[in-house]
Amino acid sequence: MAENNVTNTNTTNSIDNARKYGTKLWKKKVRKFFNNRLAVFGLLVVVIFLVLMIGAPIFTKWDPNAPNFKAKLVGPNAEHLLGTDSLGRDLFARILYGGRTSVLIAVVSSFIGSTIGTILGAIGGYFEGFIDKCLVRLQEIVSCFPQLILVLIVVAFIGPGTWNLILIFALTGWTGCFRLVRSEFIARKEETYVKVCEAFGMSNVKIMFSQILPSVLTTVIVQLTMNIPGYVMQEAGLSFLGFGVPMNTPTWGTMLNAAKASSILINNPHCWLVPGLAISLFVLAVNFFGDGLRDVMDPRQQ
Amino acid sequence: MAKYIVRRLITMVIMVFVISLVIFIALQSTGVDPVGQMLGVDNYTKEAAEEMREKLGLNDPIIVQFFRWWGNIFKGEYGKSIALGYTVKDGLIAKWPATLEITLYALLISTVIGLLIGMLSAFWQNSIIDYLGRGIAVLGNSMPEYFFALILIQIFSIKLGLLPSAGRIPAGGGSRLPNLILPVCALAIPLCGNLMRYTRNTMLDVANQEYVKLARSKGIPEWKVYIKHIFRNSMRPVITILLFRLTILIGGSVAVETVFAWPGVGQVLTKAITASDYWVVMFYTLFMAIMMLSISFLIDLIGALLDPRVRLGK
Repeated sequence: MAENNVTNTNTTNSIDNARKYGTKLWKKKVRKFFNNRLAVFGLLVVVIFLVLMIGAPIFTKWDPNAPNFKAKLVGPNAEHLLGTDSLGRDLFARILYGGRTSVLIAVVSSFIGSTIGTILGAIGGYFEGFIDKCLVRLQEIVSCFPQLILVLIVVAFIGPGTWNLILIFALTGWTGCFRLVRSEFIARKEETYVKVCEAFGMSNVKIMFSQILPSVLTTVIVQLTMNIPGYVMQEAGLSFLGFGVPMNTPTWGTMLNAAKASSILINNPHCWLVPGLAISLFVLAVNFFGDGLRDVMDPRQQ
Repeated sequence: MAKYIVRRLITMVIMVFVISLVIFIALQSTGVDPVGQMLGVDNYTKEAAEEMREKLGLNDPIIVQFFRWWGNIFKGEYGKSIALGYTVKDGLIAKWPATLEITLYALLISTVIGLLIGMLSAFWQNSIIDYLGRGIAVLGNSMPEYFFALILIQIFSIKLGLLPSAGRIPAGGGSRLPNLILPVCALAIPLCGNLMRYTRNTMLDVANQEYVKLARSKGIPEWKVYIKHIFRNSMRPVITILLFRLTILIGGSVAVETVFAWPGVGQVLTKAITASDYWVVMFYTLFMAIMMLSISFLIDLIGALLDPRVRLGK
């Protein structure tokens, strides 16, 4: 009885220690992140963007879709902070509301793509053999598909739209994460703690997802963050060509599409400079933030 | 080694086949009717459409059409645009030189500048060149290349009036250089940023290896250490990146071609996609898939050739 008590207190003590040490490590990491000026700048810009976009109705009184034929193509002024487009729609409002769609597409696609990639990568890396070979081939086939063609096929099946774009990005975007997680799993499953779990008769699923996965998760989160800028650019690219979201939905890409009219390209540069700069600034900020995050959470991957 | 190459080649053939089959079935089942596009609204009657479909062989089972298409490819008949009537040979293949012209120039220029500045900034760490290189890399990473193209047009064509903003001079039509400068810059500059950063980091990695220290302690002149020991050993990852660039370039050139009204494959493709032109889209997909697969094959091969451990291993 007495012995039991002693061991109990010992375990609680070590758990307490682990907690204390954990918080210390956490604090150290946070401090390291805030010492990286570029990363802090990135975080700040991303937060400002998010606040502006989520609180769009507070920051602008204009409706992003309401045309105003009395104020077509005016430059930036006090009334219209960033000017208006060829239909007289306020560009600042369109940047904020359009940003919601652009960023939503990027974040959701990145999240779904990483989830698919992680699950398939875990299965492939842990079991190897035939399943793994099939998955690797599947990944090769997917990365050979020209994206434009896929867009055409999906659009023809279910019509153009925000969610269809997300579907395409998620279906094509899991390959990077798959390769990463797969190679991590192949390396880790030889480690002693995995062998111990196997010896205790733990189920494969449990070993994969509750033992190995947590140690790979930081890498995945960093990868997920670093993928977001790519999706913002891809959405903009497809919408710029006219194959992305429908033209009447404001996104940064559909706004850039205005520059395809040569009169706007020549005479009204603010129409395409504004969305272009918004994309560049957002992408830049997420890149800086992601770099900082990686330095702190996953220093091996530099 | 020979066994490995043969095995890779066989897998490649199978994969090209699978990819084309998937695209073929998917395109057929989209339900978009190319015949409707072809006849136009005025001439469209059920009977005419049916007759047209029969004539084009669109009523046969998918699998029959698929193998007929492959048969034709081997015979050198690449098909015809259903909606616009041009043959793939004239309408698509003939446009490749224009696309290759800007992409290869862009690849060449970005490689030279990227490698040079990357090496210099590894040599003189934290110098002005290093910061400049990093700045360009950051900008190139965060700007879509067609947006960069728009800015170039705004500055050099509209404000300064120095360079033409659109079009391509056909062979023999005078100096082609002015029309080339802006599109090539728009593709090359964002690319070389990445390459710079990559070259710099790989070289710094290699520079910290033991054998470099050994070379230095043997008294080999510093420039020789850099060229013979560091540069040569950092080339393998850099070559990998370079080959990948080629596919990115051709994919990314679609938007840039649109901006500069460059008569390349990109324009044909965007039109074919909107008109759901089976054979044009199929041929493009086939071509891109073969290219992507060959490039990843090449990367592995070069990797094996450059790395004696892999070469001697199996």
